[in-house]
Amino acid sequence: MEKANISLYQLFVLILLFELGSAILVPLASDAKQDAWLAILFGMAGGLFLFWVHYRLFLYYPELVPPQYMQKLLGKIAGTLLAFCYIILFMYSAARVLRDFGEMLLTFAYLETPLFIVNALLMLVIIYAVSKGIEVVARTGELFFLFIYFLAITGFILILFSGLIDVNNLKPILERGILPVVRVFYTQTLYFPFGEIIVFSMIFPYIANKKKAKKVGLFAIGLSGINLAITMAINIGVLGVDLTARSQFPLLSTIQGIQVAEFLERLDVFFMISTVICIFFKVSIYFYAAVASTAVIFKIKEPSRLTYPMGMVILFMSVTIASSYAEHLKEGLEFVTRYVHPFFLILIPTLLLGIAFLKNRKKKSPQ
Amino acid sequence: MNNKRILFILVFFVSTLLLSGCWSKKELTDLAIVAALGIDKNEQGRYVGTMQIINPGNVTSGMQGGGGSQGPPISIVTGSGDSIVELSRSTSRKLSRRLYYAHTNLIVISEEIAKEESISTILDPLERDAQFRSTAIIVIAQGSKASDIVKVLTAIDKIPSNKVIKTLKITEKIWGENIAVSIQDAIKMIVSPGKELAVSGFRVNGDVDKGITMENTQQTEPASLLFAGSLGIFKNGKLIQWVDGETARGSVFLLDKLNASAIGVEWEGKDEAISYELIRQKTKVSAKMEKGKPRVSIEVQAEGNIGETKVPIDLNNPHLLLKLEKEIEKEIKKEITMAIKIAQKSKSDIFGFGEALHRTNPKEWGKMASKWNDVYFPEVKTDIVVDAFIRRTGLRNNPHQVNQ
Repeated sequence: MEKANISLYQLFVLILLFELGSAILVPLASDAKQDAWLAILFGMAGGLFLFWVHYRLFLYYPELVPPQYMQKLLGKIAGTLLAFCYIILFMYSAARVLRDFGEMLLTFAYLETPLFIVNALLMLVIIYAVSKGIEVVARTGELFFLFIYFLAITGFILILFSGLIDVNNLKPILERGILPVVRVFYTQTLYFPFGEIIVFSMIFPYIANKKKAKKVGLFAIGLSGINLAITMAINIGVLGVDLTARSQFPLLSTIQGIQVAEFLERLDVFFMISTVICIFFKVSIYFYAAVASTAVIFKIKEPSRLTYPMGMVILFMSVTIASSYAEHLKEGLEFVTRYVHPFFLILIPTLLLGIAFLKNRKKKSPQ
Repeated sequence: MNNKRILFILVFFVSTLLLSGCWSKKELTDLAIVAALGIDKNEQGRYVGTMQIINPGNVTSGMQGGGGSQGPPISIVTGSGDSIVELSRSTSRKLSRRLYYAHTNLIVISEEIAKEESISTILDPLERDAQFRSTAIIVIAQGSKASDIVKVLTAIDKIPSNKVIKTLKITEKIWGENIAVSIQDAIKMIVSPGKELAVSGFRVNGDVDKGITMENTQQTEPASLLFAGSLGIFKNGKLIQWVDGETARGSVFLLDKLNASAIGVEWEGKDEAISYELIRQKTKVSAKMEKGKPRVSIEVQAEGNIGETKVPIDLNNPHLLLKLEKEIEKEIKKEITMAIKIAQKSKSDIFGFGEALHRTNPKEWGKMASKWNDVYFPEVKTDIVVDAFIRRTGLRNNPHQVNQ
């Protein structure tokens, strides 16, 4: 474990940027049609619960990161195997998000540039940042957070003043009852992006003020959920259900619609900058979690030495995981969220908490 | 130390990648900026695209140092192909530059294509392409080829596509017989089962052959002029009917796109005796089910001033103004009723009554959606309530005829 110190504000910023990450890019929960925002809020509620689970586990072992307490709870061999699975999951997720980034740039701006080059440029920066440690990433986050919010608020005001939002697009609410919304909740939004909060269990031990971490974390998840829900509601308000679902990047289409006073238009750069920043943090945090877990399992003293080889693996994985964007999305939605995420993001953490509870029952209860 | 060495090697190799130049750079001098795209069909049934390309040197005005030469501000290139993408690429044989569509803000579709096939086939490549803006405006070339609308030079706005768009936007605001519809709006309306598409036509008069020369812009009355035409009603993406005049204005009223207009009102038996200058209006459409049948209520709130009187009338008298307001309400109601009748006759719900019903009665709508236009919409009963207000009468109160 490295020596790092993360303040509460930094934790808040990291969670927010991580949750917005690629979720703000794609038509999130678009299967719920005009009730997408509701499905996102449900997902957020699930995220709050999962955060609580991770936090409770952390309270049982305040000095340890997940791979270590997995070994304690499940025994040496099973714990190591499980932790190893998580390393692969983190790396795969990092590669997926990196691919999202590359696909976004290639679809929209750099049509003739190879995917590898675009991904490599971002990955090199991420490798550099993570090799400097999580504290550096967190401090960078502080800088960019204000910038993102400035962009978001300006964008929101401009969309409002362009008169693009048609609230009627969001009606009728719950047209086919609550069931389709719940379906989207347990097949998509619970895992992406809210279940992914699991990576933060790798960061908990570094938090300076451990007592308030829970409150701040819950607040950050709540705020990111509300932000995502508002974004999706605006997308649907501006584009309508059909266009939002058919858009590869609905937020981009929404922003392209801005036309204020004949000169404030074509603000696509707003979208580009904010997604590049958010994705930088999402990949960084996943990547950091993978590197730190590997260092713990294989007892490597300097985790930063792992960043270059593992970063290269992620880079190549991001290019090879799918041959087309459609395949990439299908894989993400139909395979990963259906078979991998429920197991690793929900079931195992809850199970671990149960075991930890039983094991520690006889000892004094945690704070 | 080892770390630093790896980093050094990495930076060394990567910088060679970056320093060699930009990856897919396109110099400004290699781009042909397309301002408008006109789409026709030729005898063989292939698409013919006419691109209006901006001639940058000739657009700058003579006032600022006079760098601009005497040539036309635009240049036309055409291409043909079985698809839009194909015709666009095929123009490269005639052009020394790459076509650049990011500033295309006008799409002209020929009347022939609009009537024969669904225009959604043309809209697909336009919304899919990353360069194209979905805010580009669509018009139908009414009574001429799309290429004519794209080719003709205009006097006040040097770039003809700007003239077309500004004309549409301004007339939508102050006269209200036309609407400016963007690609995105059009697609939304085509997709929605509860709302059909309505797009403005654009016409060209006079001799197009003279219109494409610079002389067209160098005379007080151009030999060939572009002007907004009628309002085209679509069904399933196909143009089925043109509407004009008060019917068109009634439609724009119902679409709640109208800002201002001038409405002629009858007074004491004299037609068009008083002109009412509308300055703002708000139209609300709501639907409900009544005895198993959809019923639509329309509420219009209009505000405006008196702009002209041809008859002696005592405008100081508020009671008379109230009476006048009733007349105005009658007139607006008449226009809206005409618009609804025409739309119902052509079985195309351009006003979005279906969408209004969808919002309030989703269950019943589910059963009707597929047959809405053909079965239910023509039978819809409407209740129209117009509330008109006369706020002011201009700089004078009574017309001078009164005090004679």
